[in-house]
Amino acid sequence: MTIKKYLDFRLLGLTGSMMLIISEFLPWFSGLSLLNIYILTTSVAIEDSFLYLFPLICGIICLVGAIVIIYNMVYKINSVIINFIGLGFFLIFVVEIIPRDLLYIPNAGIGFYFSIIGSILIFFDILNILLIKQE
Amino acid sequence: MSTGTIYHHLDTLSSLIEQQDNKKYYLSELGLLAYTSLIDNKDNIITPEFSKKEFNSPILKGLMFLTPKTYINYGNKRTYSVMIFTILIALIGSIFCGLNGLFPLFLFFGESLMIFTTVDANIQFLLALFFIGNILLYFLINEGLSRIIYRKKENTLKFLASFAIIFFPLDIYLVLRFILISTGSLDFSYIRVLDNILMILFQVWSLWLLTYNLCINKKLKIENSLIISLLVHYGGFSIILLISI
Repeated sequence: MTIKKYLDFRLLGLTGSMMLIISEFLPWFSGLSLLNIYILTTSVAIEDSFLYLFPLICGIICLVGAIVIIYNMVYKINSVIINFIGLGFFLIFVVEIIPRDLLYIPNAGIGFYFSIIGSILIFFDILNILLIKQE
Repeated sequence: MSTGTIYHHLDTLSSLIEQQDNKKYYLSELGLLAYTSLIDNKDNIITPEFSKKEFNSPILKGLMFLTPKTYINYGNKRTYSVMIFTILIALIGSIFCGLNGLFPLFLFFGESLMIFTTVDANIQFLLALFFIGNILLYFLINEGLSRIIYRKKENTLKFLASFAIIFFPLDIYLVLRFILISTGSLDFSYIRVLDNILMILFQVWSLWLLTYNLCINKKLKIENSLIISLLVHYGGFSIILLISI
């Protein structure tokens, strides 16, 4: 594969986690970012407001996982487990938020697409890490 | 290489090689066995260097500490005690799953999946049965994937006997959640955050137990076991999401 000569696939995780972190600050619904929605829902004491921070937490944890594997290939199982924990936060966010805001998804802002692409990239990063042959 | 070094290596390998009348060194019976074993299991062996470095890390040390190794990697003598342990895990899990009113799907629990407005005794019983069914379904999918993807057909019964151990962390989560519900703590938002974080951590622990079980009983490499765990876990998530929508 020629592409492998020029591109380190471990960067998938780095890109994915960065996209998830950035998505927190990009518009999701009605031009509001998740951080804005979190602040709004907290001020009116909506119970599950903390869920809106989960993509950011997921991004940060997966970023640590991506850095671990870039730092040293030996720690690939550690990196996968860190990514599992990180993605767990995103899965809970998606399961709770998507069915609730399903009607607004067609009009969702770029933040939504950033987070979905980011999580898919992290998923492929985990697969890639596990398929890399140890030299 | 100096003669001294060669003799040093020959000395190290003394139990595996022997010198014959023609002064040449050949593999001894034990050496031949060792060689055959290495060749046969080439794909399954985790290189010691990799294992040593990786498994010395705090995360894996912690996970290995939390792994009931004697109940997963067991001999024939312990089969009954392992089966009693796994049945206990399945029963405790099903009771608390029913009491919590949660719908189990693989390692997930769907609160929003509840199609009933009230959780009466019959529905609790049904959810408890779902928990047992979920264990069997999860086993079948994992067994099927290891057969289809990696052609591993061995130790099916041994794998089944110890399979419910994977749900041990989820039992702890269900008990904790039941305590939180009973005390009314789950109404507080920060306790709900804690509940979510606990679920994620216990899920990862369960995933690790599944990986370890696949590694030991299906003789898969740890990376391959993780791939199966990953595929089943995120496949389950996709189903949960589709049902929720």
